[in-house]
Amino acid sequence: MSNRNWLIFLAILLVAGGTLFFLPSDEKKIRRNLASLADYCSSPKKDAPIETLKKAALAARLCNNPCKVSIESFHIDRQFTTKDISDHILMMKKQLTNTRFNFHDTVIDLPDKERAEIITTLRLEGKTKDNRFTDAYEINITAKKLEGDWLFSSFTVVEFIEQ
Amino acid sequence: MSSSIIHRFFFPSLNKTFFLRLVLVGLTCFLLFGYILIPLRIQGHSMEPTYQNGSFAFCWRPQYLFSQIERFDVVTVRFTGRSVMLLKRIIGLPGETVEFRQGNLYVNGKQIDEPYVHHHSDWNLAPRIIAPEHVYVVGDNRGTAMSRHRFGQVRIDRIVGGVLL
Repeated sequence: MSNRNWLIFLAILLVAGGTLFFLPSDEKKIRRNLASLADYCSSPKKDAPIETLKKAALAARLCNNPCKVSIESFHIDRQFTTKDISDHILMMKKQLTNTRFNFHDTVIDLPDKERAEIITTLRLEGKTKDNRFTDAYEINITAKKLEGDWLFSSFTVVEFIEQ
Repeated sequence: MSSSIIHRFFFPSLNKTFFLRLVLVGLTCFLLFGYILIPLRIQGHSMEPTYQNGSFAFCWRPQYLFSQIERFDVVTVRFTGRSVMLLKRIIGLPGETVEFRQGNLYVNGKQIDEPYVHHHSDWNLAPRIIAPEHVYVVGDNRGTAMSRHRFGQVRIDRIVGGVLL
């Protein structure tokens, strides 16, 4: 192959690779929503009250109405409305100031076009009045595609360590 | 002679052999530290004083390829992957009965000495039988309240490996 042909071949390869990389897929949209959720729930510094309210509302907007939450160790297993979620996030932010939320090792399964099963590890890193703390939880999340948007419809904390 | 070696080390000639070596070293590091000897940054106080908050260790994954899990082994327990793991000590094996009385560990009704525990606790936990394919794990730091300490039985397949250092 001549140099010119090589260049054309490389250019085609680059364009194809770039298109694949930047093309928005369902999995990428879900990952982006998870990252946004972690960002809205975090309070790395003391936010202004209006900013906190805005972030709580934005986090709740990423969830379906209603959204099921199950945390066996806290005896929680019920549906939460968007307002409930927003109120709980506000309450949590008040208790956990200076806390960072992050999702790690996220695996997304798309059994059909409208539903996604996500397993992920939520890691909390923050500071209470006395000292620093870190905590982690394994979470199963279900997401549903509604009018083109992926919304989280259930959160279940996996209790894999049993006293 | 030695100055020439040092010069070659810091300023290697960028030939084919150099790039091949670079790729091999990169690949070896990726495989070794990504899958076999995983670096751990310890965060939290649950394994103090054996492992201090902020210290470093390695998770040695092949530990249980050719040997059985034993009591008092320090292991890493995974969540959904290997980015975030729990560091705990095995105190009970499948089928055994474990309990705490005034902070003392009892396995199958016999008191077990735990030399690695420095903060004596008043933990009381009723006897419980460890399910098959499970082990019972606890942190070394018993200075915290039992309700604030994450411990219990976990499936053996959640154990990623042993801990070095």
